[in-house]
Amino acid sequence: MRRALLGLMAAALVAGCASTGTEEGSGVAVEDRKPGAGGAAGSATSVPIGTTTIPGDPLKDPASPLAKRSVYFDFDRDDIKPEFRPMLEAHARYLSSTPNQKMLIQGNADERGSREYNLALGQRRADAVKRTLVLMGAREAQIEPVSLGEEKPRCTEQTEDCWAQNRRGDLFYSGEF
Amino acid sequence: MELTYNRPFFSACRTVERLFRILAICLALLATAAHAQLTIEITGAGGNQIPVAVVPFAGESALTPAISDVIEADLARSGRFRTLYTGPQNLSDTSTVDFAPWRGKNADALVVGGVYPVGGGRFEARFRLYDVPKQAQLGALAFTLTVQQARATAHRIADFVYEKLTGERGVFSTRIAYVVKNGARYQLQIADADGANAQAALSSLEPIISPAWSPDGSRLAYVSFENKKPVVYVHSLASGKRQAVANFRGSNSAPAWSPDGRSLAVVLSREGGSQLFLMNADGSGARRLLSSSAIDTEPFYAPDGQSIYFTSDRGGSPQIYRVAAAGGPVERLTFDGSYNVTPRPSPDGKYLAFVRRDGGRFQVSVMDLASRQVRALTDTGRDESPSFAPNGRMILYATQVSSRGVLAAVSSDGGVKQRLSVPAGDVREPAWGPFLN
Amino acid sequence: MRAVAVVRGVVALGILLAAAGRAHAIFPDEEARAGVRRLEERVGRIEADVGQRADRKALLDLLSELETVRREMAALRGQFEVLVNRIDGLDKRQKDLYVDLDTRLRKLEQAGAEKETAARQSAAETQAYETALAQFKANNFGSAIQGLQEFMKTYPTSPLAPSAQYWIGNAYYALRDYKSAIAEQQKVVATWPEHAKAPDAMLNIASSQAELGDVNGARNTLRLLVGKYPNSPAAEQAKQRLARR
Repeated sequence: MRRALLGLMAAALVAGCASTGTEEGSGVAVEDRKPGAGGAAGSATSVPIGTTTIPGDPLKDPASPLAKRSVYFDFDRDDIKPEFRPMLEAHARYLSSTPNQKMLIQGNADERGSREYNLALGQRRADAVKRTLVLMGAREAQIEPVSLGEEKPRCTEQTEDCWAQNRRGDLFYSGEF
Repeated sequence: MELTYNRPFFSACRTVERLFRILAICLALLATAAHAQLTIEITGAGGNQIPVAVVPFAGESALTPAISDVIEADLARSGRFRTLYTGPQNLSDTSTVDFAPWRGKNADALVVGGVYPVGGGRFEARFRLYDVPKQAQLGALAFTLTVQQARATAHRIADFVYEKLTGERGVFSTRIAYVVKNGARYQLQIADADGANAQAALSSLEPIISPAWSPDGSRLAYVSFENKKPVVYVHSLASGKRQAVANFRGSNSAPAWSPDGRSLAVVLSREGGSQLFLMNADGSGARRLLSSSAIDTEPFYAPDGQSIYFTSDRGGSPQIYRVAAAGGPVERLTFDGSYNVTPRPSPDGKYLAFVRRDGGRFQVSVMDLASRQVRALTDTGRDESPSFAPNGRMILYATQVSSRGVLAAVSSDGGVKQRLSVPAGDVREPAWGPFLN
Repeated sequence: MRAVAVVRGVVALGILLAAAGRAHAIFPDEEARAGVRRLEERVGRIEADVGQRADRKALLDLLSELETVRREMAALRGQFEVLVNRIDGLDKRQKDLYVDLDTRLRKLEQAGAEKETAARQSAAETQAYETALAQFKANNFGSAIQGLQEFMKTYPTSPLAPSAQYWIGNAYYALRDYKSAIAEQQKVVATWPEHAKAPDAMLNIASSQAELGDVNGARNTLRLLVGKYPNSPAAEQAKQRLARR
C-alpha cells in the first residue's frame, strides 16, 4: 500500500511536469519541416522527472525521450532548432542526475565541399549541442564534442533529403561508441 | 577548354595508354588485391611540346619493365614532350650517332643507352642525351642497379632528360600519397608519381583524411578516425611507426608541416571551435596561432615558412586568408564567390591553388599572388584537395567521375590534363611528395 | 507559473495522504514523518528545478540570440572586407590614372611652352625622371623619393624639377608621412608658384593637413588655393571639398 501511494504521488508529479513540457513545446509541431524533426516534437509530452524511481535503464527504453539521439541542422547552420530543445532537456537532466555518466557528441556535415571545412562545420554543430546541454544543467566535463565531418554519412545519395539527414549531431553515452 | 591533339602525339598517347593498360594487367597479376594499381590516362596535352626520340636501350630486355618504355611514358605524361616512335634501332650509348634520320623525323632530342650485366645479379645502365639540331651531346650518366631498381632507374634518367631539356627539375622519382576507400576499408597508399608501386602504409576500417608529407619525405602526417574521432598522427614510412601527435579533447585535424619540418600547424577544437594551433612535430608545445569566433582551418605554410594560408568563415562564408607564422593581423585573399577553400601555395610561392565554388561546381583554381588574378584550371565539377608537384608544374587533385572518386592532375597553366584511377575503388585525398635527394 | 501551482497541488495531496495514513495507523508515526520529510525535500528540489528551467530557457534564448548576432557580425565583417578590397582597387586605379594623365599633360605643356628648353632636356634627364616615377607607380614610395631627390640634385634647373618635387611630396603622402608631405609640397608652391603643379601641391597639402586632423588648416589651404588659382582643376576639387563640410 505504501509503495502504491508513493507510486501514485510520483505519477502525479510526472503528470504535473508533463503538462509544463507540453506547454513549452506547444509551438513546435508547426515548425516541423525537416525529416527527423517529427519524432523530436513528439517527445515534448513525456519529459520524465525523478528518473531514479523509474525501474530499468532509461537509456535502453525506446519510449524514453533519451532514446532520441539525433539533432538535425539546416544547411550551413549550427543553431539548435526549438523542436530539439525538449529532447536535449531530457538528456541534460539525465546527465545532471548521473554525474558519472559521460557523453560523446559527434557532429556531421553533408558531403559538398572541402573535407576539412566540413569537419569544422560538424565540430561547430557538436559544440552547439554541447553548449545547449550545459546550459540545461549538464556539466562541461561530462561532454566531449567531436566531429566526423562528411566522413560517416548516414545517407549516401546526392539529394537534398539525404544531405539534410547528414547535417546532424549524434549523442552517445559511455559504452555506446 | 577544348583540347586538341596533334596526330603524332595522339598516337603516342595511344601507345602510352596501351602500355599502361598492359602494365596494369601485369601488375594486377603480380600485386595483391590490397595494392590496387593506379592507372593514368592522359586527357589533354599542352602546346609547345619538345619532340624527343627514346631509342630502346641495348640489352634492356633483361629488365622488367624495359627502361626506355618507362622513360618514354614519363616524358609523354608530363605533357611537355612529344615522344616519337623509333622502332627497333641498332643504337646504344657506345654507338656513333648519325643525326640525319633523326633530323628527318624532326626530333629535337635523342636518348640512347644500354643495359649491361656486371655480375652478382647487378647491371649497369648507361645513356646519352643528344641535341639533334646541334648534333651535340647534352649529357650522359651511368647507374648501377638491381633488377628491382629498373623502374626507379628509368625515372631518374627521365628526370635527367627533363631537366636538361626544360631547365626545370623533373618529378618522375617523387611519390604521391592518397586514400583509397574500398567497401568499408580505407587505405593510405603511397605510390610512385606515375601510380606504380602502390603500397598501403595504413589500413583501417575508419576514415583517413588529410595526408601531408614531411618536407624530407620520410614521414606522413594525417588524420585518422580509428578512435571514433579525428586524431592527428605522424607516420614514419621506413619503420611504419606511428605516433598520435594531436589527440586532445575534441577534434584534431588538418596537419601541415613547416618547411623546416620542425613544426606542424593543426586545427584543434579543444578550446571550443575549430582553431589554428602550432606545435612541435612530436606533438609537444601546442600553442594557439589565432583566436576567432569563426572556423579557421586548412592551414598551409608558405614555402618560405613566414606565413600561413588558411580557410576561415569569419566573414560569413569560407574564404582564404593569410597570417604571419608568428601571428598578427590576417589578410583576406579571395573575394569572388561565396566558397573558396583549401589554399595550397606553389613551391615558388608565386601562385595559390585552391578550390572555388562557381554556381554548383567546385573547381581547382589558381591565383597569381602578385596580380590577384584568378582562373579555373579544370573542367571537372567536384574537385577537392589540390596538391602541387614539387616543381610546381602540375597540380594533383581529387575529383569524381560518374560518382566515383578519382585522382586527376592538371598543369598549372591548365594545358595538360591526366586522370588516375583505381579499378573498383574510391580514390581521394592526394598529396604529392617532395623531391628526394 | 502554472507548473508551480501544479507542484503546490501535489504537495497538498501528499500531505493529505500522509495525514490520512497516520489517521488509519497504516504505518507508524516515525515512518510517516520521514515520508513527509522526504516528500518535502523532493518538492523543494522540483520547485528549484522548475525555477531553474525558467532561467535556463532565458539563457537558451540568449544563446540563440548571441548566435544570430555572431552570424550577423560575420556577414558584416565579410561585407567590410569586400568593400575595403574594392576601395584599395579603386585607389590604385585612380593613382594609375592620375600618373598617366600627368604624364600626358606634361608632354602637352612641354610641347607648347618649352620649345627652347626642349634642347636642354637631355635624354638622360628624362630617363632619370621616368625611372624614379616608375618606382612611384610600382608603389615603391621609399625608392621613388630617393630617386626623385637624386634627380633634383642632378638637374635642379630641369623643367621637370617642379613635377619631381611634387611627386616627392606625394610619395610621402602615400607613406602617410604627412608632415614631410606638407614640407615638400610647400617647396613646390614657394619655388614655382606659376607652375601647373603648384595648385596640385596645395591640394595635397590640404589633404595632408586633414589626415593630421588639422581641419581648419586644411580649409584655409583650400580657400587660399581657390583664391590663388581659381581656374585650375585643383581649385574645382578644392571647392567641392569646401562645400562638403
